[in-house]
Amino acid sequence: MRRARAAVRYGLLGLPGVFLVVFLVCPLLLTFAISFWQRTGFTFTPALTFNSYRAFFSGVRLLVFDRSLLISLEATAISLLLAYPVAYFLAFHAVPKAVRICLSLFTVPFLINYIIRTFAWTYLLDRSGPVNRLLQWLGLVHHPVSWLLYSDFAVFIGLVSAYMPFMVFPLWLSLSGIDQRLIEASWMLGARPARTFFGVILPLSLPGIFAATIFGFVGSFGESAVPTILGGVGFQLMGNTITSAMDVLDYPLAAAMSSVVVIAMLGLLTAWFLSFDLRALLGKIMEWRR
Amino acid sequence: MTRPFEISRRGLLSTAAGAAVLSVAGRAKAAGKTLNFADIGVGDPGGDWSGFTKASGWNVNLVAIGNAPSAILNVMIGGGGTSTYDIINIVGGMQPPLISNHLIEAIDPAEMPDWAKDTYISEYLTEGKPGFQFIGYQGRLYGVPSVLQGDAFAYLPEKTGPLDSYAALFDPKWRGYVALENNYTTAGQKTALYLKKAGLADIKDPANMSPAEIKAVVDFLIGRKKGGQFRVLWSSFEQAVDLIVRKEVYVIDCWEPMVFAAAAKGVHAVYADPKEGYLLWAMAAYLVNKRNGSAAEKKASYELLNFMLGGWYGAKITLLRGYMTNPLAPAYAASHPAEFTAAEAKKIAAITANVKHKFDQGGTWQNRWPTHIDAYESEWQRFEAA
Repeated sequence: MRRARAAVRYGLLGLPGVFLVVFLVCPLLLTFAISFWQRTGFTFTPALTFNSYRAFFSGVRLLVFDRSLLISLEATAISLLLAYPVAYFLAFHAVPKAVRICLSLFTVPFLINYIIRTFAWTYLLDRSGPVNRLLQWLGLVHHPVSWLLYSDFAVFIGLVSAYMPFMVFPLWLSLSGIDQRLIEASWMLGARPARTFFGVILPLSLPGIFAATIFGFVGSFGESAVPTILGGVGFQLMGNTITSAMDVLDYPLAAAMSSVVVIAMLGLLTAWFLSFDLRALLGKIMEWRR
Repeated sequence: MTRPFEISRRGLLSTAAGAAVLSVAGRAKAAGKTLNFADIGVGDPGGDWSGFTKASGWNVNLVAIGNAPSAILNVMIGGGGTSTYDIINIVGGMQPPLISNHLIEAIDPAEMPDWAKDTYISEYLTEGKPGFQFIGYQGRLYGVPSVLQGDAFAYLPEKTGPLDSYAALFDPKWRGYVALENNYTTAGQKTALYLKKAGLADIKDPANMSPAEIKAVVDFLIGRKKGGQFRVLWSSFEQAVDLIVRKEVYVIDCWEPMVFAAAAKGVHAVYADPKEGYLLWAMAAYLVNKRNGSAAEKKASYELLNFMLGGWYGAKITLLRGYMTNPLAPAYAASHPAEFTAAEAKKIAAITANVKHKFDQGGTWQNRWPTHIDAYESEWQRFEAA
């Protein structure tokens, strides 16, 4: 009986495991291997050359990498500043029904095609769009503001609106999993609300902050649609430059850039894994299970 | 060549083609004998292949594919295209990578009776003409021309008055109100044509620039970019039409059907007749080097290629897409009132005359795969990152 149960358990675990290996690990390993291949004309031959990495780290694409890092960090920070108060309110001040409604509302954007959602910003932010008309109607500007669209500002708007909703969920999970007795103890010991927040709530919500950061950062870093639609004159992130290399069939270079991005992301995930106990993030779920 | 995330070149039409695939596939399956026709959306005659089916006994299963080189090669190699497709109809000039990977076959014009009737081939595309690189490679023929077109730029006359030079794209008078296509083989080559004709750069052949020449073009563009000349680099049909319709830009490097689409939305834009000439291009239908393909399939494929050189197909595509197709098309439309109304025949004749004028005017033939394409790509990256 016990053996049968174990077989079922390993079988259930094995299926997603096989799926992960076949559809995630193998393609990643293949990408990594191709990054060392030799490109000869229109074909590639297996080799161990660092030409693609050399081309990446010595060319203009490194600027794109740097820019992607910076933009993604900034967009993630902005998203975090917006998402945290929302998650905090939902975790500590909203009644359960309101929590359910609010969290459901945060899933609504995912029901609309991502490209269409991004395109919608162009209608809102262009020179003749509602935002510009409102600014002129209020007398704040006398001419349409050009930098609302096809600019860094527009890219931030696009990235934040695309990934901020993702970030609310881990933050809420983390905050709502905090043991209320710890917060009450802080109050009873005379700590002011600000001190309770910075001394108790914020440190205990760090796993959620880190998880949200990963959600926001990874998404922004690999983004290609938002800069293409909202970014103006050749605004590029890593996703765009990888696609561009593939357009001239330079698969080893595209694979090298992808590998660097994946390694950077794996570094982040490893740091998260080593720094935080997953149970702290999933506290609420663990609590429900008991 | 297309750019990232593409609802790409002629992508608007691909959506319609995708829908057509489903309906045609269903009918084709029922009949049994089916040719698989991969297309970027332009070659779909509204899902109506009945003329071909009636004459040959074969159905056509049209499958929409992207036009970016990587997308095409992915479909052909990784996506099993050589086991599935009989013909691929894409923007021509892709022979070098397709032939190197043994994905297409040389064609025999003798197998297509209407080949000799297509005077556009002898006028523009035969060996020795600059357009040969759209259908041929190293002295052999690989593609059947399905559409021909010349690209320039469009403008809003109410804002700019009449314009007749690519100089408008770089004129500080329209600073911040100009858009370019995010594509080095179109926008880059048009800029090279302008710089050459204006004597602003020493460029021998805008269609096949050396690394130093493409660098000079990109240096010029970066200078203009830093001066705030360009509002945006567009990447899809819808995006460009939207820019015109919202009057977000007054001068835009684009394709003529975008002007038709803007007109349909009530915005009057004019497609320029630039004194420097046009960026000329053609679509080519290639015979796929099909694994385990039968002799019957190849014979039917030739019949389909010949059908595409015929009057009905040409007229239908001109009417639906706004491109010139073959010399038989206008006469066929005019002489078959049961199939084309007088207004449609007139429209087909007008479109054909307009594109013919572009080819007579000349310019530069787009080169989808220039000798130094890597330099083009990396220089364009520099432009985008600047």
